[in-house]
Amino acid sequence: MSANIVILYYAAIFTIGSLLVASLSLFKRAAIRQSVAFYASLAVLALSLAFTLLNLSLYLISGSKASYTNLFHEDPLAYFFALTVQIVSLLVVLSSRSYMWGDRNLAVYFSLLLFSTLGMVLLSFAADLLMIIVAWELMGIPTYVLAGLRKDNPFSNEASLKYFLLGAFASGILLYAISLTYGLTGTTNLTAVLQVLQASAAQLDPLTLLALALFIAGFGLKMSVVPFHMWIPDAYEGAPTTISTFISAGTKKAGFVVAIRVFVVALPFLSTNWTTAFAILALATMTLGNVAALTQRSVTRMLAYSSIAQAGYILIGFAVATEPAKTLALIGVLFHAFNHAIMQSSAFLAAAAVDRTLGRVSLDSFASLWRRMPITSFSLAVTLLALAGIPPLNGFWSKLVLFTAAIQGDMAWLALAGVLNSALSLGYYAWVIKRMYIDEPIGSMVQGKIEEPHVISAVLLAATAIIIAVGIYPSIIYDLAKAAVLALR
Amino acid sequence: MLDIPVLSLLIFIPIVGSIVVYLLGRVRELLCELASLVITIIVLALSLYMYGSLLASKEGASFSFVEGPYSWLGGFGVDYYLGVDGLSASLILISSILSVLVVLGSWDLITEKKPIYYFLILLFEGSIIGVFCSLNLILFYVFWEVVLIPMFFFIGVWGGPRRKYAAMKFLIFTYVGSVVMLLGFILIYLFATPHTFNIPELVGKIPFWVQLLASAATFAGFGVKLPVIPLHTWLPDAHVEAPAPISVFLAGLLLKMGGYGFIRVNLGLLTEASKQYALIFIAFGILTMFYGALVAMVQRDVKRMIALTSINHMGFVLLGSFAGISASTAQAAVYGISGAVFQMFNHAAAIGILFMLSGYIHEQAGTRNIDELKGLRVGMPKTALVLILGSLAGMSAPMYSSFLSEWMVILGAISVNTWYAFTALIPILTAAYFLWMIKRTVLSPLPEHTHYHDLHNRAMIGLLLYLVPLFLLLIFPSLLLGIVDPLSLSLYQAAGGGR
Repeated sequence: MSANIVILYYAAIFTIGSLLVASLSLFKRAAIRQSVAFYASLAVLALSLAFTLLNLSLYLISGSKASYTNLFHEDPLAYFFALTVQIVSLLVVLSSRSYMWGDRNLAVYFSLLLFSTLGMVLLSFAADLLMIIVAWELMGIPTYVLAGLRKDNPFSNEASLKYFLLGAFASGILLYAISLTYGLTGTTNLTAVLQVLQASAAQLDPLTLLALALFIAGFGLKMSVVPFHMWIPDAYEGAPTTISTFISAGTKKAGFVVAIRVFVVALPFLSTNWTTAFAILALATMTLGNVAALTQRSVTRMLAYSSIAQAGYILIGFAVATEPAKTLALIGVLFHAFNHAIMQSSAFLAAAAVDRTLGRVSLDSFASLWRRMPITSFSLAVTLLALAGIPPLNGFWSKLVLFTAAIQGDMAWLALAGVLNSALSLGYYAWVIKRMYIDEPIGSMVQGKIEEPHVISAVLLAATAIIIAVGIYPSIIYDLAKAAVLALR
Repeated sequence: MLDIPVLSLLIFIPIVGSIVVYLLGRVRELLCELASLVITIIVLALSLYMYGSLLASKEGASFSFVEGPYSWLGGFGVDYYLGVDGLSASLILISSILSVLVVLGSWDLITEKKPIYYFLILLFEGSIIGVFCSLNLILFYVFWEVVLIPMFFFIGVWGGPRRKYAAMKFLIFTYVGSVVMLLGFILIYLFATPHTFNIPELVGKIPFWVQLLASAATFAGFGVKLPVIPLHTWLPDAHVEAPAPISVFLAGLLLKMGGYGFIRVNLGLLTEASKQYALIFIAFGILTMFYGALVAMVQRDVKRMIALTSINHMGFVLLGSFAGISASTAQAAVYGISGAVFQMFNHAAAIGILFMLSGYIHEQAGTRNIDELKGLRVGMPKTALVLILGSLAGMSAPMYSSFLSEWMVILGAISVNTWYAFTALIPILTAAYFLWMIKRTVLSPLPEHTHYHDLHNRAMIGLLLYLVPLFLLLIFPSLLLGIVDPLSLSLYQAAGGGR
């Protein structure tokens, strides 16, 4: 299918859908504002997911060719990430049925979620720097609003403001990098950038390196790379937890797909520079994320740092994304991005369920949680083990691929750092499990079973099922990622 | 041979059964106890069949009952690939024996959260059998890690007063060891031609420098499990805090994963490195033996003493296997390596009775402190009898096969270097602290106003069953050595014989 038709489909369905959903807030009856908005958003996501799956299976079964236009590359890589972010959106929208229910601005909330999802989908396809910045903003701006949706909560306001300021900063940096690239090459199309730079001496220009550094910083802010991570814990903690899920599991992944398109595809001859940079960033990101997570007292903050650490593992893939390990490294990036999207959604949504029922998410409030919320505890325990990389759960396989790629790419020290970090991370993941299953309840907590929010429980069980299924049968996603990487150009 | 996937059944009957047991337990607790017993007995029968047919065909050196390789993660060398040789078969047999006995013992000693307990017991059994018959390094690693999860909960949920600390310490120690070991496996995969994780295809295909690095990495994984001094500090804590049936699993089976790994991976795959640097491993082995024996001597807690005994006994495994691979004659090599495997089997049974008994003593007397346990001869004669019989197994008295295995290891070591004869001191030290313990607890006068409950008959039978394999193997050692000796010989020959 032609790239333009595909993009047109996504743009049309999401734009019409979210405008309709937003207009529902004009109705006076809460049932319409809430239920209709909810089901309409689900319908939009279902339509777009079905379309994504259809196109993806067309590739795999009938071997249809990738289609390229100046603005978009419609290839399996794009579908892979589009699929990932849409699954995250779906999980978030579904859980909002329990978590956000009763909020006055629910219709707007859903509408903004859909707009941001469209941004992420477009970003997966974008192959032109201008298109990238447009999709980037479309993805980002709704999430700034969503983070501050709880107007009367100062933490939510702080989260939103912090996130907005740093997001705007990132966009500025990106725009500067893009303008430098345009100045050097006279084009914004990534394929053309590649050709022009290959043919000219501009690749050695210090300005090119400056542009490169700015790209890393700009994308790094969204990908939660140390040292551009400062906003993350506050934003994730203050924002409604479903939105934290959306930001960490969704928008962050979109950062990785553009990074692949810009660095690996368009700037391969600068790889000595960016691989070194990413190797150092990977080491710093995973180490700082894990060490900081160890000391947290709030589960959402801990998950925020864990999310930083997981980004560090993915960066290992970028650090060796040149020959001879290029294929394996990129498979690892895609595989772990997918797995992390599911695991992070599951973990944050479990925290959302606890927040919703108990009203707090401090580590102490998880004490003996299994008596009160058995489904949530079980899902969270499995998810945390997967995040730590315990086989046979999905997180293990993608880490295995990443570490193997690191050794193959002559960066065995990075693999060593990775496994030691995994071991470190088990310290705090297992601590939460210990709190939930081993510790006695603290203080005057409710002892008996509490009714768990139904929809979130169902979503958690579904996510846990994906985690276990991909763990037992990793080839599904691995082969998909491999097809995406091999078709990449 | 029947045309059924015996090994897959051995792994998945308990794993699938665990869910059934859990669901039954939610209905009535008695059901889950009975169902676990039935399932473990089925597994025992199956593993006896597997073991028997291996023994009948005398094919201990090559892999039988092979399943696969079936591609699991295509293009990445991860296959579902199972098979057993003499080493795997004997460890699978002891795993299934201990599982039955542990389920029996748990009936008395575990009183709360039974459904989930028996669920974890069966999960543990299935995955440890998986460890012992995986022929793919990643499959091996998967089962290896799955074993950790039930063990973490066993210690943490059903353990003693310091259970939380012990559970976390156990988890962190073993996990750090395992991930470093995984790095070694990845190295092997990348630098072997062809790229594969399959153990049979890797033999002789790994460059020497990779073998060196991988040996260092696997030492972390196997050494923590065995345990080797100084990687052992998790063990006394875990054993003391774990409930008695779980200590049986810990010492009887979990430690064997380390010994199995050393023989399967270090001797089998990293052969040249093992042979070249055998001295280092032997030194660690001897250090472990002496340390375990000396520290065990000064313990006050019976259970802690038994825990340290197993450190002492596991040192023999390290000594035997690496003395064997570097021995100058084939006979000595067979003594060393077969002795190590034999020692693992015997230790599992001997330590099983001792730990289980320590659980009963704690339940009946309310203490495990040697200084407080007085006059067991009068106070609980049956317990005293079992304690003496068990201690004799622990100190490798010549009435049990554990005597044979220690003797074989020392014999193998002597042929490498006559000075290793001083390791014969170890059995003497072991006998000394066991006898001293018996003197203080059994042979002391019963304090006044002390009333103990004695063992009931079913518990006593359950305990004495542990000794059956030890008697049997003393009289017919060829029941085990018949399939282990060919394996030892082939490992030795693969290492280039006496050169």
